[in-house]
Amino acid sequence: MEILGGLTILNTFTLAELEVGEHFLWKIGNYTVHGQVFLVSWIVIGVLLIASLAATRNIQTVPGGIQNFMEYALEFIRDLTRNQLGEKEYRPWVPFVGTLFLFIFVSNWGGALIPWKLIKLPSGELAAPTNDINTTVALALLTSLAYFYAGFRKKGLGYFKKYIEPTPILLPIAILEDFTKPLSLSFRLFGNILADELVVAVLVLLVPLFIPLPVMALGLFTSAIQALVFATLAGAYIHEALEGHGE
Amino acid sequence: MFDFDATMPLMAVQFLLLTVLLNAVFYKPLTKALDERDAYIRNNKATAKDSIAKAESIVKEYEAQIAAARKESQSIVEKAQAEAREITAQKIAEAQQAVQTQKEQAAQEIQQQKETALATLEQQVDSLSRQILEKILGPELVK
Repeated sequence: MEILGGLTILNTFTLAELEVGEHFLWKIGNYTVHGQVFLVSWIVIGVLLIASLAATRNIQTVPGGIQNFMEYALEFIRDLTRNQLGEKEYRPWVPFVGTLFLFIFVSNWGGALIPWKLIKLPSGELAAPTNDINTTVALALLTSLAYFYAGFRKKGLGYFKKYIEPTPILLPIAILEDFTKPLSLSFRLFGNILADELVVAVLVLLVPLFIPLPVMALGLFTSAIQALVFATLAGAYIHEALEGHGE
Repeated sequence: MFDFDATMPLMAVQFLLLTVLLNAVFYKPLTKALDERDAYIRNNKATAKDSIAKAESIVKEYEAQIAAARKESQSIVEKAQAEAREITAQKIAEAQQAVQTQKEQAAQEIQQQKETALATLEQQVDSLSRQILEKILGPELVK
């Protein structure tokens, strides 16, 4: 009985708690926005902009320090885009695909590495912007728009031919694809990041010290992979729109 | 969990803004830097290749010159040797001829002296034989 009593005492200390679906709401006119998402996304954007500015403030032929690091990042992004889009088409799409990768990556790692719990909000909690469905859907819809734009700019209305190109029988599936692509993109990212944060939160709730560390490391790995997957798939979709079925 | 609101369009706009900003401060300048470095390296490589080709052609030229010089020197040496051989042969022939003439002269002289000696000897034979006779037989008997 005394052990159980001890357990209840332990439970009165809330080292961590679960909050899902609570938001720090801001009102703009008739609309509400999730303030915590924007606060963290601004930090992410700030980090990216400051790193970029620091890297490009004084560009040298022989790179060093931050310039070297950012050049490494840029080469990684360029390789990623080139692998998906091919040597001929990839250049104009580097900023879009690259920003997708950088934004998601820095968001995920920022959410996992920065102890947001230390900052108290009136409601909700600060976390990675990518664990909010609004963010991931926004990014996924932008990806859809991007590949439609790419297709139309390359082929004009001939872009629609790809829906009936091998055979018109597949038309429903081809149309369905345009819906499943953003859906899968957004839910994959959202689910992975939210699940990772929930698993860590639950483990921290159960065993506050050391035990969650491997899961946190795994979370970092997953976060990086998800950023890579999102950017790669965005590149693949744009490539598909540019190439069409015929080729 | 799935509560959509104005966050979504605002986030999309914000993301596009970030793309534009990063394009201006990150992608464009660094891509330019990378391309410039590529061009620089390519240029240097091309120049280096040119220099190597030039050096190789110079080496080839020098080698050709060296070969020509060697051939020339060899021909000079051969010519000199041939000349020397000719000169020695000539000298030897001359010397042999001179020796021959001297020999012939000497033989002639010897013959001549022999003849004169024999002539004088013949002349003296009578008087000598008379003297011998006188000595052996006495002067009275000889007359």
